[in-house]
Amino acid sequence: MYGDDGFTIFDLQLWAEGLGISAWVFITSSILGLLFGVLIGLIRYYRISVLGKILMLISEFLKNSPVLVQLFLVYFGIPALLMIDLSPVEAAIITLSGNTAAFIAVIVISSIDAIDKKQLEAARSFAMSEWQILKLIIYPQSLAFAMPMLVGLAINQLQVTSLVSVIGVVDLTRVGDIVNLRTFEPFIVWPVIGATYFVLAKMIGIAGSKLENRFNRYKRVTNI
Amino acid sequence: MPDLSAMLEHLPAFWGGFLVTAEISVLSIIGSFIVGLIVALMRVSEAKAARLFALCYVDVFRNIPFLVLIFFAYYGLPEVGVYIDAFWTGCLALSIAVGAYVTETLRAGIVNIDKGIIEVAKSFGFGRIKLYTKIILPIAITSSIRPLGSVFINLILTTSILSAITLGELTSASKIIASTTFRPFEVYVFLVIFYGALTFALSALIATWHKHLNRYNEV
Amino acid sequence: MIEIKDLHKNFDDLEVLKGVDLTIRPAEVISILGGSGSGKSTMLRCINGLEEISSGSVVVDGLDVTKKDELKAVRKKCATVFQQFDLYPHLKVIENITLAPVQVLGVSKTDATNKARALLESVGLGDKADVYPAQLSGGQKQRVGICRALAVGPDYILLDEVTSSLDPEMTAEVLEILKNLANDGMTMISVTHEIEFAREISNRIVFLDQGKILCDLPTADFFSADGGMADPRIAKFLSKMGTGS
Repeated sequence: MYGDDGFTIFDLQLWAEGLGISAWVFITSSILGLLFGVLIGLIRYYRISVLGKILMLISEFLKNSPVLVQLFLVYFGIPALLMIDLSPVEAAIITLSGNTAAFIAVIVISSIDAIDKKQLEAARSFAMSEWQILKLIIYPQSLAFAMPMLVGLAINQLQVTSLVSVIGVVDLTRVGDIVNLRTFEPFIVWPVIGATYFVLAKMIGIAGSKLENRFNRYKRVTNI
Repeated sequence: MPDLSAMLEHLPAFWGGFLVTAEISVLSIIGSFIVGLIVALMRVSEAKAARLFALCYVDVFRNIPFLVLIFFAYYGLPEVGVYIDAFWTGCLALSIAVGAYVTETLRAGIVNIDKGIIEVAKSFGFGRIKLYTKIILPIAITSSIRPLGSVFINLILTTSILSAITLGELTSASKIIASTTFRPFEVYVFLVIFYGALTFALSALIATWHKHLNRYNEV
Repeated sequence: MIEIKDLHKNFDDLEVLKGVDLTIRPAEVISILGGSGSGKSTMLRCINGLEEISSGSVVVDGLDVTKKDELKAVRKKCATVFQQFDLYPHLKVIENITLAPVQVLGVSKTDATNKARALLESVGLGDKADVYPAQLSGGQKQRVGICRALAVGPDYILLDEVTSSLDPEMTAEVLEILKNLANDGMTMISVTHEIEFAREISNRIVFLDQGKILCDLPTADFFSADGGMADPRIAKFLSKMGTGS
């Protein structure tokens, strides 16, 4: 195979596998990032302990440094420090989850802050518990507020997944690299890979705007 | 135990990489601003073809990973007879990719200008060019300094991806230090902190500059 | 002289001006009255080509506003003062006034600045030359707006609801300046729905209703019982505005 010119049916299979890995890394790290991000945001919002401040400081550094460097830190640095083994995919998911969580935490805090404080006072005056307030008042409104930012973040994080190819994860970009080096057809390979990401991004965008419409239903003004 | 002080003796190597990062950042900021400005003008132009082109450009480059673009440029340009080294390939790719974000930022600045002000200028007989150079662009650019700053800070962080095409910038230099010292943890922690500090410092500078340039809005 | 003949203006299906004929001679001060939606602002905007006319003609001193090269000359002759002041926010007061003379008319910066200072002095804003518009009150902004219009040495001044955004006190300061201008023989066309303002500055009043001129009379005749007031639509408008006399 190696050195062969021209594309084969196996390239299509390789593309599909790369697509699967990219999707897996994206979905896993998005879900984990969402969970940890919300947790960090809530810990900070309720000022539970000094932990919140420390987590936010780490978040700031994760938001403001290159994801590639964070990948190197997790893939090369942490195993060297702790004397453990991490597979490229594990390192990729850990890094991207942490990075996503950092952005989510900030979105969570700003979305809660966007809610009119008087509503919360009103709710407390009706003797609602903090949990009820969070579930019934903060959650639905802040989610509607956060949706556009979350969709934007998702599209961005999809692109960020391409970086995991650098530590050896055989994702879509890595597949492109492999096929490109074998066929020397950059004008076919990279546009195909680029178009795949483009279509995925558009799908996320469309799904996102559908969700947005659902969450924003309560904002619609109706004539009485 | 992690020991960041072990990094001190490697500062010259970091510094060498940082200089390349700085150089490529400055050139690409200028390049992406020029690209973004031109496309933004197309984006708001009256010619439908120009608007369509600008829209497609923004849509494509905001939805494709930079790594894919840089591989395409690095392997594709020689195929079409353009032989430039990794440094200039990086500058070109960054200018075009980040130009898409500059376009959207400037477009927002332009469409947010009070329409009345543009009418006033027209009523005084300003032609298109004077209208843009004296009224629209000065207002659009000064009001966009902060968002443009975020775009450019992102550009600086994105230069790290150029390490994938063996460009000797800060991240590449650090990779070499990590492999020679066998201290990858310290090297990359140092690097995260360094990039983070750089970002904070630049954000603060940009915020001050934004405030200074927009002082005319203060009542 | 401004000659408007059979002017029509449509916005899509909506016909805003339905054949307006009007001639404005030098040194006249004309107020165009009418309710909202009467088309009065649109008519004013047709004079300097801010709205493209649908049919008919607008000719200013022999220059046709529908011709692109002549429109630029028309715009040099007519200066507009706007309801929302619309000062350039990024330029200091003095630069707001000198921008058009320097950039459009090619006046030297020194000459333009000297003239601008004299104009600011004449409206009592000599000390505000170097502040930004955001730091001025509404009345001060509008006085700068008038200076900006005068700075280009116009033959005609178009006033588009210039006092509508001002409180009575500020209206008085602006009115005073405009009255002085009228006395100096400046030709002015003012669109307004403030009757007192119209009565004070103009020597002729044109009443526009649903895109047509309902009456065109000297100011004194317009307000007399057997003049404009004789028309029930005008009487209704005046009483609604609370100034019918």
